[in-house]
Amino acid sequence: MELIKYFGKGPGFWVLLAILTVIFLGIVFIVLKSSKKRYAGRILIPVFFTELAFLFGILALGFPDRGDEVGPGIVPGLWIIGILGFSILLIIRALVKHEDKDPKWGRTDKVAVFIVMTIVYLIIMQLIGYNLSTIIYLILGMYYLAYRDWKVMISLTAGWILFSYFAFYRLLYVPLPRGLLIEWIFS
Amino acid sequence: MELLSNLFEGFGYLAGVQPIFAIVAGVILGILAGAMPGLSPSMGVALLVPFTYSLSPQIALILLVSIYIAANYGGSITAVTINTPGTPSAVVTSFDGFPLTQQGKAGIGLGISLVSSTVGGIIGTIILIFFSIPLARLAVKMHPAEYFALAIFGLTTVASLGGKNWPKAFLAAMLGLLINTIGIDPISGVKRFTFGTYRLFDGFALIPALIGLFALSEVFTRIEEFKLEKGEETKFEKTKWPSLLDYWKLKMTIVRSSILGTLIGIFPGAGATIAAFLSYDLAKKTSKHPESFGKGNPEGVAAAEAANSSSVGGALVPLLALGIPGSASTAVLVGALMIHDLVPGPMLFVERPDIIYSLFAALLIANIVMLGLGLFGARLWVKVTVIPKKVLMPAILAISIIGSFAVHYSFFDVATCIGFGIAGWILKKYGYPGAPIVLGMVLGKLAETNFRRAVIMGGYDIFFTRPVSLILLLLAILSFGVPLYQTHKANKKEKVEKEA
Repeated sequence: MELIKYFGKGPGFWVLLAILTVIFLGIVFIVLKSSKKRYAGRILIPVFFTELAFLFGILALGFPDRGDEVGPGIVPGLWIIGILGFSILLIIRALVKHEDKDPKWGRTDKVAVFIVMTIVYLIIMQLIGYNLSTIIYLILGMYYLAYRDWKVMISLTAGWILFSYFAFYRLLYVPLPRGLLIEWIFS
Repeated sequence: MELLSNLFEGFGYLAGVQPIFAIVAGVILGILAGAMPGLSPSMGVALLVPFTYSLSPQIALILLVSIYIAANYGGSITAVTINTPGTPSAVVTSFDGFPLTQQGKAGIGLGISLVSSTVGGIIGTIILIFFSIPLARLAVKMHPAEYFALAIFGLTTVASLGGKNWPKAFLAAMLGLLINTIGIDPISGVKRFTFGTYRLFDGFALIPALIGLFALSEVFTRIEEFKLEKGEETKFEKTKWPSLLDYWKLKMTIVRSSILGTLIGIFPGAGATIAAFLSYDLAKKTSKHPESFGKGNPEGVAAAEAANSSSVGGALVPLLALGIPGSASTAVLVGALMIHDLVPGPMLFVERPDIIYSLFAALLIANIVMLGLGLFGARLWVKVTVIPKKVLMPAILAISIIGSFAVHYSFFDVATCIGFGIAGWILKKYGYPGAPIVLGMVLGKLAETNFRRAVIMGGYDIFFTRPVSLILLLLAILSFGVPLYQTHKANKKEKVEKEA
């Protein structure tokens, strides 16, 4: 119980997280070097969920018990047991080849770039505001996906900016970010 | 009599510019959302939720259910014309709809899908009107143990939702349930899995998670899969529509599929896709020409469309009567109701009958409006399908981001949306469905609070001593077991056939 309490909070939690990460990386290495290489994704996803359930289980065991018949950790505990059960089942299914081989990935590089672009968009939105950042994001997004009809790109972007201004800002009172930089310049 | 007078009052509420405008706008937006590949009915409804914040609860609900109804039909347009189902349930429509187009009969496919959707939607609504009241009355008397059993029953239907991938579907549902426990415990006030972050005190907001799981994951999948160099535009062929006799010949298929679709829609977790598949299967088994299914049989289109549209009425039965969403779209509707301080469930019939009956009336009117707009604007709707994906994908991302931000005006929600989007994309790639996660997130609170209340009231054995609870749990076991047995049987048969 003391060990669970140690791992449940403070530096102990980070130690547990580090241990689980090392174990996961170890399993990744073993799977990729084994004959089950073609099932790596099918194995590693449930392994990840097993570790996640274990981590959440340790945290749930540390929830304060106030003498209730059903404390705050009971129900999460039930779902954690479920996750562990189904994850282990899926690992076994992948190991005995009851699952299909891993699907082929397409242009993940393009997805990664798009995700990064979206994150950058969110960051610059706070600096230069919603309107300007959205114009850049939409035009760059379409350009990146190899769309080259500038008339459509500009009219769609302008249309969306106008629509979001009237629908969200004016009608729904959504405080669209004005941008710290823009506010500083105009103040 | 009370029901009819309430319904007349509901119709009376619609006699205004604003409600009619909301229906027409909802139907148009729903058809557009459904026809747009990548935008499902639940995404269409979810994306429009932020627009309803400043509307009255009635108008907001009328708008959202109109979108929900019309999106199911909209999905069939792209399924029939370009073999790209706009919605998951429209996959079944494409089995016979696209062969009709290939034979130069796109109008037949589109016409039958429109009329079947309308009739199915109306039958589903009529069943909803007559069955939700007795269910609601029964639900008022329900004990927390029974509510918990009901939530478990709802979760076990994931077995049929998952099909061959049932362990993944269950794992996804469990993840949704666990995610739902993040935040301050509603009974003891203990902080659970918040990692010291105050933003997690309320847990993850449902709408950004939903937009991420459905819209963003679809965008990422499309970006990963689609071929940039390929032309994506399509032409809508000029074609004639079916005659009244053609529709009349399909009456039995439409009525039977509508009833089956509604019944399937009532079960949480089942939804339009399963309704469409089962109705298609039934239509094939009872048809005089089963061999022509898959080759352009109008019965196949009628069965699929009547079932998926009628499932809307079915899905609204547990939502309105018990507060349990029967589909991802109704899960979004729960969020929309809560935004307006309305808790779906039996008490809504008592406290706000005006909302319920205006909703019933709106459902009937929306189906008729959908028929009119569908007949009038088929050429216009199909224009959506020619929007290049290269333009559509960044636009969906922009809509998703502003939609998530508008929930709490928080970038944390936007980050949640992106996080769920990435997770949904990876999980989908490996066959983990997103719908059970949403189902888990929505049913989690109902399951947990009622489980704990029931145990506090009568101990752990209360679930087995109350007859209704016991029956529901047994039904849950059956609901869990039968699809698994069927999958096992199908796998065995497939193996034997392979070996032979």
